[in-house]
Amino acid sequence: MRGAIFKIEKDFDKEIRNFLKKTIVKKFFGAILIPCKVPANDSYAYLLIRDEALIEKASILPPVMPIQGGRVLKSFTRLGKIDAKVAVIMRPCEIRASIELSKLEQVDLTNVTLISVDCPGVIPLSDYLEDPVKGTDTFKEAFKTWESDSVRELCKVCYNFTLTGSDLHIGILGSEQGNLFLIPVSEKGRNLLDFFNINYENDISSWENIVKKKEDERKIKRKEFRENLRQEIEGIDNLLKTFSDCLNCHNCMRVCPICYCRQCFFDSDALNLPSTNYIKRAENRGSIKFPPETLLFHLGRMSHMITSCVSCGSCEDACPVSLPISRVFSFVAENVQNLFNYVPGMSVKDPVPTITYEEEELKEFENPYIETYNIQRM
Amino acid sequence: MSKTLYIDENVNDGIKKFLRCILENGKVKGVLTLINEGEKIAYSLISNPELIKYTVPLYPIMPLNAARSLSHITLSEPISEPIAVVIKPCEIRAFIELVKRSQGSVENIFFISFTCGGVYPIKMNVNGKINEKIDNFWRLIEKNEIDADLRASCKVCKEFIPYNTDMTIFLAGNKEINNQCRIFLNTDRAEDFAESTDGNIVQDKINTELIDELKVKRLEERKKLFEDKKIEKLGLEGLIDIFGRCISCHACGNACPICYCSLCYFDSQESEYKPVDYESELEKRGAIRVPPNTVTYQVGRLIHVGISCVGCGCCEDVCPSEIQLSTIFIKGSESIQEKFNYIPGKNPEELIPISTFDIKEFPEVET
Amino acid sequence: MNDSFKPKIIYFLCSWCGTGGSETASAFGLHYPENVLPFRVNCTGSLSTVYILRAFLEGADGVVISGCHPGDCHYNNGNFRARRRVAIIKSILDTLGLEPERIWFRYVAHGEGKRFVDTAAEFNDYIKKLGPNPLKTRRDI
Ligand code: SF4
Ligand code: SF4
Ligand code: SF4
Ligand code: SF4
Ligand code: FES
Repeated sequence: MRGAIFKIEKDFDKEIRNFLKKTIVKKFFGAILIPCKVPANDSYAYLLIRDEALIEKASILPPVMPIQGGRVLKSFTRLGKIDAKVAVIMRPCEIRASIELSKLEQVDLTNVTLISVDCPGVIPLSDYLEDPVKGTDTFKEAFKTWESDSVRELCKVCYNFTLTGSDLHIGILGSEQGNLFLIPVSEKGRNLLDFFNINYENDISSWENIVKKKEDERKIKRKEFRENLRQEIEGIDNLLKTFSDCLNCHNCMRVCPICYCRQCFFDSDALNLPSTNYIKRAENRGSIKFPPETLLFHLGRMSHMITSCVSCGSCEDACPVSLPISRVFSFVAENVQNLFNYVPGMSVKDPVPTITYEEEELKEFENPYIETYNIQRM
Repeated sequence: MSKTLYIDENVNDGIKKFLRCILENGKVKGVLTLINEGEKIAYSLISNPELIKYTVPLYPIMPLNAARSLSHITLSEPISEPIAVVIKPCEIRAFIELVKRSQGSVENIFFISFTCGGVYPIKMNVNGKINEKIDNFWRLIEKNEIDADLRASCKVCKEFIPYNTDMTIFLAGNKEINNQCRIFLNTDRAEDFAESTDGNIVQDKINTELIDELKVKRLEERKKLFEDKKIEKLGLEGLIDIFGRCISCHACGNACPICYCSLCYFDSQESEYKPVDYESELEKRGAIRVPPNTVTYQVGRLIHVGISCVGCGCCEDVCPSEIQLSTIFIKGSESIQEKFNYIPGKNPEELIPISTFDIKEFPEVET
Repeated sequence: MNDSFKPKIIYFLCSWCGTGGSETASAFGLHYPENVLPFRVNCTGSLSTVYILRAFLEGADGVVISGCHPGDCHYNNGNFRARRRVAIIKSILDTLGLEPERIWFRYVAHGEGKRFVDTAAEFNDYIKKLGPNPLKTRRDI
């Protein structure tokens, strides 16, 4: 792979901001969608910016991910693209969610240039909100070591922390003297660098090497994580214990970038049954929990969206009772996605498994017929 | 003077004895109350009397406002055979408000509630943590004190005596909960049920001294809370500061018992920005927050639910951004409700003020 | 095997081949266990995952799905889509340790009356061996 070496004097966040400013001033982009500090300075939110002065408030790598970028981009482009060209700066899992959403026709990428950044993970929202100043320091630490215990559980074992399906990638890892790599991946990415006469034919193997090494380390960690989680949640007893504090509030679904339905099936009237039904079910089992259908909600949601789960961890951030919900989803997602050899968000080309099929596949899920079954039985 | 059922147990065991009795003798088909199994507490509709021993009807926990569940069960048809529910005063009030909006029916529901000492934030119930706090909770009830760890909304709640109940258990304001279970019988149905159990029914005079004292304490807390948070002087800047960290998940509305719409206006296409809207905001202001309408949602929701907000605090409890929502909603709705002299859920016959009008009212809003 | 255990089995049939199979069976006077409850859906491709899960969580001991053979689906590819959905559900259940073997997927053609009753009988025996679905008595789902 080849890329540009982007010289950094002091603060990389600042210099990238300056570069972004230039793209606006020179009218290469008509607007930039990027996380910014909120007025009270206690969190971040995505701002779509045209006034280049406001880019000062932006942050390339904020310590938290309050709203998943995929959801943000959906809100911005679901009803169509704006005329201007827009740069979007996001973390890798946000980029992947955006790409999934574009395949599901919820995001229009036509005028959008996706710019990703090597990601050291994010601090869980509640930890950060408890003390934003401390949260920022914790994040700085995570950024330095790249192996922090204070980031989201899924971030600790994420091996898709770098270039995924974006147009341009900002490589932070493996550079000397704090320089960055600008790695163009698509026509859109190359156009941007060409416009500013940035040479992207440099050798970036130092980035590639360290990324590879980190990926391998994380894959080992992920394996351990899977094994521990499996023991914790596998089987009816464990699973129901895991979900027993669930309020059935459906907030996990609402913040999930992939769950894009305006009205979720599990919030719809389809599950508003006549009162006799609930009383009957209470009689059958002795009692039923209210609100009902907790497990159905989780398994049903999985069956709808799990092939596209990008393991971002947003659901867990938003759960009022801090269930390990994203860990469970990510754990299941890995197995299901392997069935189809599918990694969500890696490319706009491979179709989402639930909207396509192959004739010769998944034979192991058919139950073959034994012609003589009833005869043997006699 | 009112009819009172005395059960020879402490208040917790007494109510359980009663519930088991009416389930066994067939007065009700089921009981909706909190159940504590394997250290986890949740609402359950119980039909097997054997399970009553696991219940904790008076526990200071509200996983989600039970009015939502009652509406869920009774939305498409009323309940056909009687069930008893043991829920908190604000849950009943919220349900009455929902019924006024045709979102459920009280038919065949036997309401049991209690003078409420408040509930803890839901986070305190994760992994059964509440079980560690519970003894202290009963002790504070006996002392008639307010636990500082209660939900913010409960510490300032002035409607902790239930309306529209068949039975009211004497909990808060009762120093004797450890050796008596005293239940006020408010309806004929309640007397009938009480007679079918083996407690003593007597004519009794309620001593409201302690209740009045508690009310005064709560009102003081209320005043202090609003002052501390400077709710009245927030203004737009203040709101932007508070809601800047809001993640627009709308969990607050979805947990709110009054927000019953199956599709919220603020989630509908109506309030979605089109490309031209983004374009014009960019031109006008140079930038726009995405998704938009963060403060609009909050103010809009307050306008929609303010008249009926029961101050339960569920919105705040589920907010992942830990925004002090209930304080804002309680203050905001108090001022709306005072204008109409309306206490939500108090009188089922009274129309919701926004669904009616008086020709001569509010000359002051006309210009 | 517990002989007193009569499993509750939901048999989803597409309205063309699957149901056709059951019609052929009746024309030939073939019998299947009466605790197998057939449900007709338009095409297996129109069967929502939620209905399979709901049957499973609400106390069915097993769920079996039969649609047209590959290439025969009256909507071209509904059966292939259904196979993906079944694969997804079974993989979810497998990962969580929730007995995916209680769900079967087998093609049955219009003329295959015997195959239909054999499937019902075979699945019924299989579920009897597995025993009741433990989810149906759980009070905390
Ligand atoms: S299920 Fe959770 S981890 Fe997966 S994409 Fe949705 S929010 Fe992210
Ligand atoms: S956000 Fe948490 S409590 Fe709410 S439904 Fe999801 S897992 Fe359950
Ligand atoms: S629950 Fe909290 S974060 Fe979510 S919309 Fe309401 S105020 Fe905002
Ligand atoms: S707005 Fe909040 S406090 Fe008021 S009824 Fe709704 S959830 Fe309860
Ligand atoms: S019509 Fe039979 S499977 Fe589609």
